[in-house]
Amino acid sequence: MSDILLQTEDVTYAYSRKGPKVLDHMSISIGKGVKTAILGSNGAGKSTLFSVLNALYKPESGVVRYKGEPLSYRHKGKIKMRSEVSILFQNPNDMVFKPYVEQDVAYGPENMKLPKDEVEARVSEALFAVGMERYRKSPIMKLSYGQRKRITLAGVLAMKPSVLIMDEPTAGLDPQMAYEVMEIAEQLHKTGVTVIMSSHDTDLTYAWADEIRVLNSAKCVYSGLPEPFYSDYSLVQKSGLLTPSVFKMNAAMADLGKCSLEPYPRTQTQMSVKIANKGRDFGTLYVIKTDKETDAGTVIENEGLKGLHTGLYGMSARIARNSFGFDADFLYNGPENCTMKCLSGTDSVLICDPLMLDKAVSSANFINDNGYGKIDIKVI
Amino acid sequence: MVELFRMEDVTFAHNPSLPPVLNGFNLSIEEGSRTAILGANGAGKTTLFYTLTGVYKPQQGQVLFKGSPVEYTKEGLRNLRSDVAVVLQNPDEQIFCSLVEEDVAFGPLNLGVDRDEVEERVTKALRDVRMSEYARRPLQQLSGGQRKRVAIAGALAMHPKILIMDEPTAGLDPQASMEVMEMAERLRLSGVTVMISTHDIDIVYKWASISDVLNSGRIEFSGNSEEFYSDPERVYRCGLLTPTVFNMNLDVSFINGIDPSPYPRNCCEFTAKFSGASRSGTIHCIPAGEEDALAKYEAAIADCRDVDVGVYGSNSRYALRDSRVNFRFDAMDACFTDAVRGRDSVLIYDSVFEPLIKEQAARLKEFGFDTSLEGCR
Repeated sequence: MSDILLQTEDVTYAYSRKGPKVLDHMSISIGKGVKTAILGSNGAGKSTLFSVLNALYKPESGVVRYKGEPLSYRHKGKIKMRSEVSILFQNPNDMVFKPYVEQDVAYGPENMKLPKDEVEARVSEALFAVGMERYRKSPIMKLSYGQRKRITLAGVLAMKPSVLIMDEPTAGLDPQMAYEVMEIAEQLHKTGVTVIMSSHDTDLTYAWADEIRVLNSAKCVYSGLPEPFYSDYSLVQKSGLLTPSVFKMNAAMADLGKCSLEPYPRTQTQMSVKIANKGRDFGTLYVIKTDKETDAGTVIENEGLKGLHTGLYGMSARIARNSFGFDADFLYNGPENCTMKCLSGTDSVLICDPLMLDKAVSSANFINDNGYGKIDIKVI
Repeated sequence: MVELFRMEDVTFAHNPSLPPVLNGFNLSIEEGSRTAILGANGAGKTTLFYTLTGVYKPQQGQVLFKGSPVEYTKEGLRNLRSDVAVVLQNPDEQIFCSLVEEDVAFGPLNLGVDRDEVEERVTKALRDVRMSEYARRPLQQLSGGQRKRVAIAGALAMHPKILIMDEPTAGLDPQASMEVMEMAERLRLSGVTVMISTHDIDIVYKWASISDVLNSGRIEFSGNSEEFYSDPERVYRCGLLTPTVFNMNLDVSFINGIDPSPYPRNCCEFTAKFSGASRSGTIHCIPAGEEDALAKYEAAIADCRDVDVGVYGSNSRYALRDSRVNFRFDAMDACFTDAVRGRDSVLIYDSVFEPLIKEQAARLKEFGFDTSLEGCR
């Protein structure tokens, strides 16, 4: 069990005195470095909880603690809290503060009174992370919804928070962009940020989260690993949710004796391999550890891996690709795509940020460790 | 098949100095079809919808509605829009009144529907989106997902012949998303043509028969979904990804050395294909009219105490809102999956959905699985 970083104790909140309670004696805790998904139907209180967690709203009763200390609602305390715990709101239009992209991204760090060069550096880095550096001088009004969403994400990244709360980060984004956002979330997690996410995309959060918290009618009705929750179908139903498709198929297949119920697959490749015939040869997964200075293209050439399908994963790999201009086939969801290639019997190459290594090979390990087959993993 | 909409070589730019959003665009929408409009952010989906409804007039080419070119006069546009309802991605862009029920009534009142009829439609539409208890509330106090539901109710109340929904499930919780897709099917079965644009590839893959894929202002593909997803490079270029079930089918079919076709689109088909199950559990089908649903349900439940019960359709769901139900939102797939697992189940559905049950049973037959259905003619 990791240390508790952020928690509410018996917190109650209502928007108006006569109005209904949006949070009703809610106690919830978030572990440091634990990828936590907050689930619940529309109107369950997710967004309100987020605003209570970073001192935007002061609860009517109960206490919110950060690192064990109760939050301060004085001006200074609130400012400090918001640079520690940042929220990426669902609707980007709620978060646009300035007319031009770079001004908007700089807004947060400037408010933190950082030196000018530091602000500048953070803005560049954040815009790169979301793939929007070309739009640096653009007016925000001219950007599409998805682009604005990325700008607001950059604004939050530039503040370098300790906790990042993402409220529906993939809503309205096309599927590739959604994976890009999930990759950024994973990257932040690896650099020590505690990431909390709410999303209606059950499949996406199931693949991502260590733990879930389920809210229903202003209360927290479940807290823990996802599997026990999804196994209780009537609770899932009552909470306005549905079971992830991979979970459902695994249960049906296990019921028919095609596989055991556990280990639970979290991704499509893990599910596929559980029910497929055994004994088939899989391809090798070459993982090239790529920091900012590595020309992965040359490595591929030197290792004789040219012509294989290549995927890209993680920030330093993206920066390196930007400087050296090497090719990649899968710019999104690299690990799953490369693993899928291996399942189809061909070798594949994943150009990977060293920080993200364990996530990159997690599906391949799932296959190897559980005896579903053998994908050779060669880390270069 | 009757062609409802046709776009011929349409070009549209917001401003002559900007690149065109639609660029030599051709499209044909047939009456009664389920069409998914797919494409990355910025591919031109929303502009396409505005062009179809006459909000934007193309600089080149023409839009035909029921065979004749759209007339951009007050009269012509009113004719077009009395048949076509649009649900925009952002509900805040189509809020006209401050109270929920007034907002839902806005469309039909504008079409000249008389007051009693409007009231009836509003009540029904709000019930279908489970927002009845919010009828007298100001829209401002609702959450994003709730406002979306109100916008959908507004479109339903217009009784359109064509319903266009731009990202209808974005921001909705999973159950509400299922309801929206179910409503789309209800309308289609009653003769409405439905077009949906969405980024939720998994939901739309289960639903659509035809996919039109947009890329940079042009139609990149039009036809059967599997044909499109079978070309991964093209899918990638279009900013899309392949659906989860589609991928898993390819993986397992390849490893097992079998034909990927037929392609399973949902849980029951996938399970049927790869489990080798042959003994079907029985689905006791109860088509329910609005009044007798409860009585039939009570009778069925008395016979089979320990089976799963599913409801499909807003009338049945409403009638059984306080009763024991296992599958309230994905009942069609869940009951058929039960059948594949050899379990019996009871499926209570609004009678309008009967063709869907037959369609699902027929599809399972393609996977070599005979579903035992009882009570479905």
